Amino acid sequence: MKFRTFLSTAGVLALTCASAPAADKDAADTAVEAAKKYAGTTISIVWEAGLQSLDPLNYSGPQWEKLTGIKVKVVEVPTDQMFTKIMQDFKSGAGAYDALNVIPSWMPDLARAGALEPLDKYADKFGYRDELQDIAAAYRDNQMQYDGKIYGFPDDGDVMLLYYRKDIFEDPKMKDEFKAKFGYELAPPKDWKQFDEIGQFITDKMAPKVYGAGFFRTAPYPQYMFQERFRMEGGKFFNADTMKATVNGDVGLKVFKQMVAENKFMPPGVEQWNFVDNLAAFLQGTTAMTISWPPYGRWAAGYGSGEEALKWVPKSQVAGKVGYALTPLGRPELGVGFDLSVSATSKNKEAAYLFIQWLNSKKTSLERVQLPYTLRDPFRLSHYASEKYRALWPDAPAYLDTIKTSGEKGLLDLSLLQQDKYDEAMTKAISSLWAGEDPKAILDRMAQQFDAITEKVGIENQKAVYKVWAAKPGAYPQ
Amino acid sequence: MALSASLNAAEERKPSRLGRVLEDRLPYLMVAPAILILLLVGLFPLIYSLIVSFQRITMTENDTSFVGLLNYAELFKDTRLWTSLGHTAIITVIALPLELLIGFLMAQLFVDRMPGRQLFVALLVLPTVISPIVAGATWRLMFDVRFGPIGQILSFFAGEPVRILWTVNPAYVYPAIIICEVWQWSPFMFLLLLAALSNVDQSQLEAAEIDGASYLRVLRGIVLPAIAPVIAVACLIRGLDLVRIFDIIWALTEGGPGSMTETISLYTYVQGFSQFETSYTAAISFLVIALLTLITTLVLKRMELAR
Amino acid sequence: MRIGRLPARKARILTIRYLGAGAVTLLFLFPVYWLFMISFKTPDEIYHVPPLWIPGQIQFSNYYVLFKDGDVLAILNSLIVAGVSSGIAIVLGTLCAYSLARFGTGGENLAMWIISQRMIPPIAVVFPIFLIYVYFGLVDGYFGLILLYTAFNLPYVIWMMRGYIVDVPLELEESALVDGLNRWEVIWKVVFPMVRPGLMATSVFTFVFAWNDFLFALVLTRTEVITFPVMLTHYFGGQSNFWAKIAAMSVLGTLPIFVAVSVMQRYLVRGISLGAVKG
Repeated sequence: MKFRTFLSTAGVLALTCASAPAADKDAADTAVEAAKKYAGTTISIVWEAGLQSLDPLNYSGPQWEKLTGIKVKVVEVPTDQMFTKIMQDFKSGAGAYDALNVIPSWMPDLARAGALEPLDKYADKFGYRDELQDIAAAYRDNQMQYDGKIYGFPDDGDVMLLYYRKDIFEDPKMKDEFKAKFGYELAPPKDWKQFDEIGQFITDKMAPKVYGAGFFRTAPYPQYMFQERFRMEGGKFFNADTMKATVNGDVGLKVFKQMVAENKFMPPGVEQWNFVDNLAAFLQGTTAMTISWPPYGRWAAGYGSGEEALKWVPKSQVAGKVGYALTPLGRPELGVGFDLSVSATSKNKEAAYLFIQWLNSKKTSLERVQLPYTLRDPFRLSHYASEKYRALWPDAPAYLDTIKTSGEKGLLDLSLLQQDKYDEAMTKAISSLWAGEDPKAILDRMAQQFDAITEKVGIENQKAVYKVWAAKPGAYPQ
Repeated sequence: MALSASLNAAEERKPSRLGRVLEDRLPYLMVAPAILILLLVGLFPLIYSLIVSFQRITMTENDTSFVGLLNYAELFKDTRLWTSLGHTAIITVIALPLELLIGFLMAQLFVDRMPGRQLFVALLVLPTVISPIVAGATWRLMFDVRFGPIGQILSFFAGEPVRILWTVNPAYVYPAIIICEVWQWSPFMFLLLLAALSNVDQSQLEAAEIDGASYLRVLRGIVLPAIAPVIAVACLIRGLDLVRIFDIIWALTEGGPGSMTETISLYTYVQGFSQFETSYTAAISFLVIALLTLITTLVLKRMELAR
Repeated sequence: MRIGRLPARKARILTIRYLGAGAVTLLFLFPVYWLFMISFKTPDEIYHVPPLWIPGQIQFSNYYVLFKDGDVLAILNSLIVAGVSSGIAIVLGTLCAYSLARFGTGGENLAMWIISQRMIPPIAVVFPIFLIYVYFGLVDGYFGLILLYTAFNLPYVIWMMRGYIVDVPLELEESALVDGLNRWEVIWKVVFPMVRPGLMATSVFTFVFAWNDFLFALVLTRTEVITFPVMLTHYFGGQSNFWAKIAAMSVLGTLPIFVAVSVMQRYLVRGISLGAVKG
């Protein structure tokens, strides 16, 4: 397996076909025009179950059908089954799926197995190269290609942001008391020690009305927070020479212990919180800080409240009081993310491709990231700069700038061969952590599991892949 | 099951040769389609699985060379496998007696005729017939720390807020599973035992009553011996089900926290469908079959006794 | 059990028994009530702390959403798969059972082998079946699931029906044969009416088994034929547990079962004890 690093922007541009359509037609229109000949067919697309699916179900699916006559069938799959279902479908050759949402850290596996259709020739044929350049570098450079070929279009600007309550942080009484006690200004925490001090301080002062912080703790998401923290504290996943797991060293232990300790100043029962529980707590004003993906920022501002599809979001009590910042230590995790891909076993490859090009295009994606009820986050330079978006609520400019900066500084999810197995080991470890097991024992077991997986994959193979991954600027903080 | 001679004697009208052949072969023709399907879906996969279990097939490798007993040797080194068998045993050993006891007490309550008994019984079987997945989902709703009623009820009795994280706290996760399991299957025991108790010889009971025998003595001397075969059957049917428990745990904990509630069925699923260890999963399957064959043989013996 | 009771205390005993019966029933039905009630709650009521025991009003929006998004197709899929597979299993299984009961085909061994098929743990065969289905392209189709459920229900049907057929007096069949009816006519005109109730009960049970199955459906469905239990698990996750959908879907998926079983109340005991206990 030989890995090529990414083609530079210029290289990609040089490769762009001369036959690219005239500039007056954008990629969305091109896709719609070309797709009309498939009117009457149905394509299926795998989408993360639940909230994510509201986009194709309520907006983009019906819209596409109106434009082209192609029906879209949305297949909702829970996050932790997305990889296995796609893999199973590929293995079975059933071709039940046409287009896919692929989590970028699993792309190498799926691409290697041959489950994904390389998209370069389609991008040339339908003139999509230019618009790909507009995707923010963090996603374009890390989540689009494998081994020099395009396998998916980055479609979700996932990155962790720190949200905090400006009204509490700027309260003069709180500020004075805090400064007197700790000797520095009460402000968004720069590191985890500060985070713990601020969190404990607010809980001591304001609980049970307001707690210092709240996080989602239920599988599978917390492992992304662990990946970020572990690396920012100086941890390395593996010894690059032997490929032995090094997650169970002092850094891992310190991070695990801190994570458990932090639950103490969070609301009781936080161990059971999922994405929505945590969101509800923050919106109801129960927590003063949280870390999560960008949608929280929109909903906290009250954007889209009153929408039928948003009925499941508890009403925001904190609109106008929310500040956005980089996560402690300043290199937030580009957690999860989504690529739009085409299944190699699809019987409608071209129609499926045209659908994802249209979804991902400048025009359509700007609409989609502004849908109040979806979880697709800004991922293009044109999204960050969009005047329309920046006018959606008073703090929207600050919000978009924070997302942009966070993306630029973002850390990549670990992405090796059979990544889902490493993910499962981390997820399980963290759920054992909440259950009160000894952190050292958990970490040792996790390291053992890592080693067993590496051995199964083949140490030399994995070492090569890890080397390429670790060399990326977003892998480890320099 | 001897054939009655007159059956043959009666088959004297034979319109044609073909008809006669059909008539002669009739017993086998009647059996054939069912047996064929059973072989197709029951036996064929097992043979296939047996072959695979001696190879090394995984998601990425299609290595069909034979490696002998390698996969079976792996079984013995696999701590997660044996732990999951342990979890399965724990659930079985605790839930089964509880279900039996609760079922028996319920049956005692309803064994005498009372107006409206039929309605009570009809309502009480509901938990047993709903999907285990629904049962798990229901209890997940019930156990939720903030939106579920269990914590609320406990708080009411405790006089202070009780916040138990049923699916996170290792001390409570097994009770949670067992409560759900017992809720769903005690009514099953109740039904069978109610039928059995209703068939106990009334004249014996009345004689004992006139003698003034104590309740316990009657229970030990008359009732239990009479219903023992039914208890055996019920326990073995439930025991087998418990050993393969999957749905309830999937809906309640998905094997978590960590792998603390991973049963053998869940582990097999993980190996097969998320780790894609094709050959190894086949080996695990045979281990499970071997273990269950043991129990099954017992079941069938008991079933025969009870018939 | 009337042991050492005095007639004078009868009334009090009965009252106590009613109280006990009421308490037990409440205890066992409370979770079902909770599920049922949540399906009528608005989001605000579901996320209310402490939980509310009675919804503010009966509103059907949670159900409406399931119809609007097409989630109820899963119920339809379940109906088709469970219905068709039960039908096939009943026909083939009853024929087989008749042959076993009346001709002693294959002797006791065959009967034993058939019932032993029932005891095979699903998890042990689901993986090889999946691989074979993959090979033949049967994953995610009605046919594959129907074949599988038919096979899984056949042993049960054969076992149960054999019991019911054995209960039919042999003399009836003999006299019918003497009267000149052929074998098929005997089965149709003599045996069938006698075992009809048992047949109905057995069909209900095979239907319920197929309806409730989760493991096979989880593995063998993708997009086209997602059955009701699999659909239900889609509402759980790290993102959120969609309580409203979970509750409404559960209610929809439990109603058919409840109706079917209520109708077959009399045969319940014999049915669930594999014929070992004749209720």
